[in-house]
Amino acid sequence: MPTIKGLRARLRALLQRKAAERELDEELRFHIEMETEKNVRAGMNPADARRRALRDFGGVEPTKEAHRDVRGRFFEELAADTRYALRTLRRAPVLATAAILTLALGIGANTTIFSAVNAVVLQPLPFAQPDRLVMLWEENPEKGWHQQICAPANVLDWKEQVKAFQDVTMFSEGAGASTLTGEGAPRVLKTASVTGNFFDVLGVRVQLGRALQPNETWAADGVARTVVISDRFWREQFGADPRAVGRSIRVNGQPRQIVGVAPSGFSFPVEGIDIWLPRAWKPDIRAQVFFRQAHFVRAAARLAPGASLATADAQLQAVVGRLKLQYPATNKYMGAGLTPLHRFLVGDTRLPLLILLAAVGLLLLISCANVGNLLLVRAVGREREAALRLTLGAGRGRLAKQALTESLVLSVLGGVGGVALGVIGTRVLEALQPPGMLRVSHFAVDWTVLGYVLLIVAGSGLLFGTAPAIWSGRRSPAESLKEGGRGGDTRRMRRWTELLVVGEVALAVVLTLGAGLLVRSFRELTQVDPGFDPHGVLAAQVVLSGAKYDSASQARVFFDQLIGRVAALPGVEGVAGTSDVPLQSQGYTSDFVVAGRPAGEYYPEVTHRMVTPAYFSVMRVKLLRGRGFTADDRAGGPLVAIINDEIEKKYFKGQDPVGQRITFDKVPNDKSEWLTIVGVVRGERQQALAAEPSIETYVPAAQETPDAMSVLARVAGDPSALAPAIRRVLAELDPDLPISKMKSVDEIRAGSLARERFLMTMLVVFAVVGLLLAVIGVYGVLGQVARRRTREMGIRIALGSPVSRVRWIVVRHGLALVAWGLAIGVAVAVVATRGLTALLYHVAPADPVTFVAVPIVLALTGVAAAWIPAVQASRADPAIALRAE
Amino acid sequence: MPTPPPNAADVLRGTLDLLVLKTLTLAPMHGWGISQRIQQFSRGVLDVNQGSLYPALQRLEQRGWIESEWQTTENNRRAKYYRLTRVGRRAVGEEAASWRRYVEAVELILEIS
Repeated sequence: MPTIKGLRARLRALLQRKAAERELDEELRFHIEMETEKNVRAGMNPADARRRALRDFGGVEPTKEAHRDVRGRFFEELAADTRYALRTLRRAPVLATAAILTLALGIGANTTIFSAVNAVVLQPLPFAQPDRLVMLWEENPEKGWHQQICAPANVLDWKEQVKAFQDVTMFSEGAGASTLTGEGAPRVLKTASVTGNFFDVLGVRVQLGRALQPNETWAADGVARTVVISDRFWREQFGADPRAVGRSIRVNGQPRQIVGVAPSGFSFPVEGIDIWLPRAWKPDIRAQVFFRQAHFVRAAARLAPGASLATADAQLQAVVGRLKLQYPATNKYMGAGLTPLHRFLVGDTRLPLLILLAAVGLLLLISCANVGNLLLVRAVGREREAALRLTLGAGRGRLAKQALTESLVLSVLGGVGGVALGVIGTRVLEALQPPGMLRVSHFAVDWTVLGYVLLIVAGSGLLFGTAPAIWSGRRSPAESLKEGGRGGDTRRMRRWTELLVVGEVALAVVLTLGAGLLVRSFRELTQVDPGFDPHGVLAAQVVLSGAKYDSASQARVFFDQLIGRVAALPGVEGVAGTSDVPLQSQGYTSDFVVAGRPAGEYYPEVTHRMVTPAYFSVMRVKLLRGRGFTADDRAGGPLVAIINDEIEKKYFKGQDPVGQRITFDKVPNDKSEWLTIVGVVRGERQQALAAEPSIETYVPAAQETPDAMSVLARVAGDPSALAPAIRRVLAELDPDLPISKMKSVDEIRAGSLARERFLMTMLVVFAVVGLLLAVIGVYGVLGQVARRRTREMGIRIALGSPVSRVRWIVVRHGLALVAWGLAIGVAVAVVATRGLTALLYHVAPADPVTFVAVPIVLALTGVAAAWIPAVQASRADPAIALRAE
Repeated sequence: MPTPPPNAADVLRGTLDLLVLKTLTLAPMHGWGISQRIQQFSRGVLDVNQGSLYPALQRLEQRGWIESEWQTTENNRRAKYYRLTRVGRRAVGEEAASWRRYVEAVELILEIS
């Protein structure tokens, strides 16, 4: 029975190994001195006495060994193995460096991607009790709406009647643009319009001043006069001066008092918000049809204490049911739903992240196979040493443990390098990710990530260490020593390495096929005809703000002047204005009815755009029928509209739409405005290159004037060269108006593919690295094969066999390995690439082009990898080759 | 290998623990002293192999039967003294009893003739 004292002695021996050794030394020295003295007393001379004492003692070292045996060996052995491993690695610097770099690459890629997954998917939202927050949305099967933004009056009813909601806040979808004036050059502020309880519901405390108050939304006059600013804006604009709180700034021409500064790092609903403006509503909005009809807010709720998601959903559905009956005109088909806020926000970024994670997982496996091979080759090289140690009495388990320790030391070193690479990788990823794609802009390498790295380090160490470890432990010494003179290259070991190479080629095939599919899909996307000509057009968006643009006529005059002045700039071939640039933003949508047709026939809703007459010519949108807009389609004149051919195809069925009349009410009444269709144009892809054009109507900007327009200027050369001139023209017209966005339409088009390009680029990079590693693996194994057969090849050449045929022996060997890898890889990929389906455009997951091209490229690469060692081996002088072994 | 005096017998494995413990019942003692005592008490018949003595001491200490402490000897040297613990003192009795039973059994067999 071990006692406390006994345990303490054990622990001390373990923890204070050095001290224990020192004590033992001293104890034994004392013993020998006493024995010597005794011998002297018995009459010997001191030298003999000491010799006799030592002899009697029977050797100090074995005694120490025995003593140590009792103390326990595990940690000592581990330390010794580690030291030994480091020593052997130092002795083989090339191998060690290759292995560590390979691993660092694999682990670094994993660290990078996992830190993104961690930040986006795993980390909770930076709000108080974020798991109690849910996202609310509206659904309308009739219009095909799914998880849509809400009508505020409906949300207010939910808030009041769903007892499972503690509170509900509303905020803008994404961010709007406001203009800051009176603080130096006018500045565009990324703005979130939120209800006053926004900060309360999220549970976010401001760092300075106060948050918005719930009652600020409900001012009697419907005007809010406060603003909360972001930490970043506070630093940039006010140099982090605490006195900024209480100051008044002009936002969109209105004075607003800064009441608080949001905490650093807080930005919701999207990244990079500068200011949060309270929405100002009169208390009676629930009685107004507009607020039930117009869907323009996102809503999030905090669940009441103890309420479950299911309860909340049930109560919400009950309220929705009542609203359908109460407001049939607007709510007859309106449903609603909810989901945890975090899940909603992760949304469609989950799939790309999982795909990237799978890709780097494959990469790590390839790295492991490569390193496993390196170690295996070396374990075989050291077989004589192992055999000798076995015969001298070392345990097989001990040898296996040593081999495993060596692998673990390698993987730890690779892991350290990997984390370093990973930290750099996360910075690169942060810079590369298209703005907004991953919801978070900073991926920290935190404890979760490090824990994951530790796991994959241990896992990969075991993975690539197993083969060499089994190998070291299993061999019979007699066998090895017999073969020893020939380096012990046996068939069994060859099968191991070849298995590993086939495996890594297969993995590389899967990775490359995946990347190939995305490349194909991306090419398809870039070749899509968007319905307009994006080359050579600059788009500059101006958002009007301030009292001087309150009336439509003022805005109209301003835009007319701006377009006129830009048209007068040298090099400009044509200028137009549009409320929305396709692929950048879409206009609002509404019901519509064509005269003489039964109401309620036309769904989904139609998209609206306001354009100046030159729009179709500047953007080169093809006019299919009728006429374009002219200067005669002016305010006060007959209302006209142009439709795209999607409307014609879906709703006119062979009739000529020109001359027919359209209105934008669901059920026309005597107040409805009827527009005459004067032309049909080819549909433009508004939302994405991958999405068919939606049904859209254009109206003259003169008849419906927006308060924000993009000026499109077509030039002969590089459109961005025009930018300074446009800024100057605008500053001359109104120095208080900033340009909120300025990009060439080509850039806008490229930007709309940013996510696809990002994912494709990442996957291609990983595939190239994986391919490279696999090729190195093939090369390494064939190098072995070639060396082994150098003698044979020498004989063959000496006997007159043509060099090419001799080379073919090695190349054939390589091709066999690659062919197996290809076959397995393709078989796996046929199933695995189905995971990509949602991301592919006009390419099937089993795309024949990709599945033929990629294997051919890989096979050629394999031949190249086989050719080099084959040539080297066959070049050897037969005389030398024969002596080689 | 050490050569024991011609008339000395190596201590049987397994009995060493008992001898060490028994020796320590008199007074705390260092390793060398223990080996001398065993030799003296057995009138020179038993010779302790040092190679087993120190591991045995370590073992007994881990078992919690003895504990050690560095002290100064009568001629002013530092030495590690071992002392019986309470558990150890109890164990001496049991070990001795079990040894006696063993000896008796061997005696019984030897008496057959």
